Order: sequence, then structure tokens, then C-alpha cells
Amino acid sequence: MNFIKRGFLGITRKKGKSLILLAVIFILGNLISGAFSIQQATGNVESSIKERLGTAATVEMDHEKINALSEEELGVMEFEDIGVDLIKQIGELSYVKYFDYSMSTYLGSESIESYQGEGMEDEVAMTGPSMDYRLKGINYAPVIDFEEQKGKLVDGRVFTQEEVDNGTSVAIISKKLADKNNLHVGDTFTLTNAVYTYDEETGEEELATSRDVVLEIIGLFEPQSIKEDQGESSDGGMFDWMDIEYQNTVYVPNAIIASENKYNMEEYMKTDAEFAAAMEGEEQTFEYYTPLFVLNNREDSEAFEEEVTPLLPEFYTVINASDQYDSIAGPIESMSNLSKYVLIAAVIATVLITGLVVLLFLRDRKRELGIYLSLGERRGRVVGQILIEVMVVAVIGITLSLFSGNLLAGQVSDTLMKADSNMSDEGVMYYSEIQQTNLTTEDVLDSYEVNLNSSYILGFYGIGLLTILISTVIPLIYIVRLNPKKILM
Amino acid sequence: MILEAKDLNYYYQDGEQRRYILKDTSVSFEKGKFYAILGQSGSGKTTLLSLLSALDSPQSGTVSFNEEDIKKIGYEKYRRNNVGIIFQSYNLIPTFTAVENVLVPMSITENEIPEDSKTVAYNLLDFIGIGKSKADRFVNKLSGGEQQRVAIARALATNVELILADEPTGNLDEEMEQEIIDIFKKLAHEHEKCVIVVTHSNEIALQSDQAFHLRKGVLSSYE
Repeated sequence: MNFIKRGFLGITRKKGKSLILLAVIFILGNLISGAFSIQQATGNVESSIKERLGTAATVEMDHEKINALSEEELGVMEFEDIGVDLIKQIGELSYVKYFDYSMSTYLGSESIESYQGEGMEDEVAMTGPSMDYRLKGINYAPVIDFEEQKGKLVDGRVFTQEEVDNGTSVAIISKKLADKNNLHVGDTFTLTNAVYTYDEETGEEELATSRDVVLEIIGLFEPQSIKEDQGESSDGGMFDWMDIEYQNTVYVPNAIIASENKYNMEEYMKTDAEFAAAMEGEEQTFEYYTPLFVLNNREDSEAFEEEVTPLLPEFYTVINASDQYDSIAGPIESMSNLSKYVLIAAVIATVLITGLVVLLFLRDRKRELGIYLSLGERRGRVVGQILIEVMVVAVIGITLSLFSGNLLAGQVSDTLMKADSNMSDEGVMYYSEIQQTNLTTEDVLDSYEVNLNSSYILGFYGIGLLTILISTVIPLIYIVRLNPKKILM
Repeated sequence: MILEAKDLNYYYQDGEQRRYILKDTSVSFEKGKFYAILGQSGSGKTTLLSLLSALDSPQSGTVSFNEEDIKKIGYEKYRRNNVGIIFQSYNLIPTFTAVENVLVPMSITENEIPEDSKTVAYNLLDFIGIGKSKADRFVNKLSGGEQQRVAIARALATNVELILADEPTGNLDEEMEQEIIDIFKKLAHEHEKCVIVVTHSNEIALQSDQAFHLRKGVLSSYE
């Protein structure tokens, strides 16, 4: 009849009280379990969405800071460029897995047809100058978009560093564009760099001059992430547009774009004397690079930002892909906050209510406890007996509430998210060059899932049992202060 | 000498005045004897018993068990291993059966207890007059006399030499009182226990081997 056995007998011989305690722990456990489930689920969403947002970072003009300037300040302000040297310096940081810097431009073509989407072949072509092909410059020869699974090379090869450095006229195009024009690896195709003049009176554009840009196809790619997302989202139109844009992207070395931009600008100045006069004396550069840094780990984002920010010229800022989580995770964030407060309140309520219930039960058993002490039982073992009685009931109550609280959390969070997403501005999509996937609030809500996993189970048992343990400390103080003589004589 | 109290003082502080319950009380007890301490209500006899059983401690003076100060032994340890206490209101655990109540001190004591403690408990109860069928009943289903027997069995369960009883027959009728007295006499004379009973019953005093009278905190021999 040691204290452990006495503890178990205490549970079975006082069924009524054990059931009351079980009911209290079960009800409060549901609150804790529910709130904890939501906390876990929102935490999982955050990490998975940030994972999908990627580990990319870039350096951009700080538009918020610029918008805060007065017109006078803007008038005299000279903005520095991000030079290649600085990009390389940042790229050398230990957080960076690999980096690239690129320019882009749009060119048209008279010899090939652009991809216009599935089932759009019969559509009437747009009138006016067509600039359907987006040339994306490359300095990192293996192409970051392929390394980061935005696209996948399905035929041919990527660039060599020599081709990139020399600006060789080679290109990687999408398989669909190639198929449409019966092009293969090793073929050449021609784009047109057309210079247009604009008649302000008529509003018409007129071709001033043009030159051919002949490129040899060295590889074919297929889009990856956009294609995947397309099937998951209801916002098909937007993704169609993005898909078309990407299918018509032509990867080329940066030097080709610099050369075409220079040609275009010089020819345009020949047609517009006023513009040419305005540009006279200005240092002419045709190299405006957008850097892209892919970090080793998502956790490095903050450290990377902290280290890079002091290196940047004024009015530039670091943008991390995961920064966009805050703007698309509104409903999840509000639910996470709510569940945090509910969890804290539930833990406090459990400590107080369970503590009070146990204390009341112990007051009824004062004489019994006095008997143990009069028989010379160690106070620690009397405490142990009570702990066993409470904790065994607590384990049962917590186990039951583990499942019911989880179910409850699923129902409550569904309702909350529906209400919240109805209130948020639907249809807004967030896209950035640094994103590898193009996520919407809907994607965030889709990835929210309340489920029973080992970390949730362990976490909930930890919180639940610790809370009950703390709530039993109050009665323990009561036991320690008991005087057997006063109770029994 | 198994138990000795020397110069015990126990008082309550009432403002600046001390109200003595026990004043310079000294007394000693031997094994194999049945003692009675008589006194009226409020005479301090229960206080004396609580000091002898280490349920309380005196402001001054010592209680020695086998010539060792019980303070040195440790009050809790002394209660656990050296003394069996019987209360007027039995103080049994109502949610346990009679035999379970007897088993409780057996699991607490550090004294050597036979491995088959349950059989020992049944035998003890049988010795006291509680048969197997009653031993398996919850104690609140037993009569007052039977409950007191269970309490005596519990006091004996740890094989101690010293039994202290506080008004053990206070709630019992005359017939039952005699049965309990007989048990105490048997324990003292046949089993070499030292049995000290605090009571207001002259009957117990008359049948005891030695009786003391406690009046206004002062102990004297009972004539």
C-alpha cells in the first residue's frame, strides 16, 4: 500500500471526484488543445509558405523612402546606380549560394510567331508594333531560374561562362515557342530590334529603323512553378498571362541586351533632336542590372539584410522573397494572434480552476492526509500521492481533449478563415521577380491544415501536463503546511 | 526504560502571559506495562500524548525513546518506526478496507515487515478480533468498536514496542471498553509492549499497571 498504489486507489475509490476533475481538465484541455492546434498549424503554414517563396533576395530602390521625399528634394536628388562591383561584393557574402544580375528588354520578330496560350492559335493578332519576346539577360551561366526550378532545361544545354562573358549570340527558349515555330537546338532564329518614333499629334507610332538579332538556340526549357500553380488556383487568367510571358522569354547573355539597348537609344536620338540635346553630356550607360541573390537558408534572410544594407547607396533596400509572407498571410496571422491569446488565457484559467478544484478536494481529505502524516509518512510522498491522482486523471483528460480539441480547432479555424478571407481584398495577387512561386492568399489558406502530428502531440502533452503540474503546486503548499495534531486530536 | 519525558513545558502565549498546559512535567515508562494517564477535559493529557507521540513539540524539555532524544531521531521517523498511535475517533481512511488501513503503515515504516504483508495484516486483525470477512469491508461499514480494533491493529502493524492511545474507549460502550482494555493488557503483558493510554475513565486507571493523574499541567501518581 505504498503512495503510488494509494494514489491509484484514490482515483478509483473516489469516482465522482475523479470524474469532476476529468471533466474540468477535459474542457480546459479542449481550449488549450484547440488554441495550440491553431498555433501549430499557422506556424507550419508560415514555414511552408516561406519555403515556397524561396530564399531569393534582391536589391531595389526603396520606393517608400523616395515617395516620402518632397518634390524639391526629388528635383535635386541624384540616385546612384547599383554597380556590378557592388553586386559581386554582395554575392561574395557567405549567406549567398549563388547570384546573378540581369537586364531585360522586349523585342519583336517577323520570322517567328509568339506563343499565345493553349487554344489561342486562331485568335486575331494584335495590330501595331509587337514586342512579344522578353529577353532576359544572364551572367550566371547555369541560369538561376533553372537551378531554382522556375524552369527546367528539357533539351540542349545551358550557357558556358565564355559565351556569357563574350556576349555570344546564343539563346535558350521555351519548348512551346520552339515547337510552334518548328525550331530545334542548333537552329537560329531572328528577332527584330525596332526603333519607333511617336507622333504626339496623331498618337501613332512609326517604325524609324530596325536591325535583326540572330540567335542560335542552345537549349529548350519548360516552365515549372507557374505550370504547377496554375492547376491549384482559381485565378487562371492571371496565371495564363504569366505563363505566356514566361513561354516567350528568351534567355541570352547580358551583353546582347546591353548592345541592343545601346543601338535602340542611339537610333532613337537620331530621330528626336530634342531628346538628343537633353541627353548630351550625360554619361551614357546601357547597363541597369537587377541583382538576384539566392541564399543558402531562409533563416539567413535577416542576417543577409543586416549585412548588405550598410553597403547600399542611399535609397536602396534589400527585398527578401519571404518578406511577402506578411502581405499574403493576413487571415492566418490574425488567427495566429487570436489563438495565442486564447492559449495564454486557457493556460491561466486551467492553472486557476484546476488548482482550485484540487484544493477543494484536498480540503475534504484533510483528515486522510493528517493520518498519513501521523503515521510518519514523508510529506514528499503525500505530495507524490496527490500528484499521481491528479496527473493520471490529467493524462486521460488531456488525451481525450487532444483529439476533440484538434477537431474543434479545425472547425473553428475554417469558420474564422472563411470570414476573414471574405473580408480581405480578393483577387489581389502578389508577384515579384524574386519569387520563385507566385502565391496568393488562397494558396496560404489552402496550405493551412490542422492535423495531429508528433510535434503537436508532444507539445500539447508538454503544455497540458505542465499546466496541471503548476496548478497542483497550490495544493502542495497546503499539504506542506498541514499539522497532523491539529487535524487529528 | 523505553520512554522518558523530562521537564516538559508547553504553553500558549496569551498577550504577555504564558498559559501553561504542561509545566515541568517529567515521567518515564517501561516495556511490558500498561499505563493510564487520567485527567479532566483541558487538563493537558492530550497535549502530553501528542508530545510523547511526536505529533507536536514542547517549548522546552525532552522526550527520549530508548534514551535517545526523539528530536534527534526525527519526529517523522520516530512516528514511522517507533510508535503506534490510537485515536479516540479512530482516524481510519474511509475509502480503504480494514485490511488496507492496516497495510498503510506497513508500507510507510522502515522496520522489517514480512514479505507477505497482507497475510500479516489479516492475522493482526484476527488477533484483535476482526475476522477475514470484516477485514475486507470498508471501515465505515464497521461498528465503532470494530473500527477501534482496526485502529489498534494498524498501531501494531509496524511491530513497534510503544503504543500510545488517546481516549481509545471514549466512543465505546462499557462492554466494548472492557474488550479494548483486555487487548491492551494482553499487548503489554504477553507481547512486552509499552501501552500508554490517556483517558478520563477510572475503569482503565484501575486496571492499568500504573496510573498518573494530570491536573493543571502537573503530573502526579494516581492513588
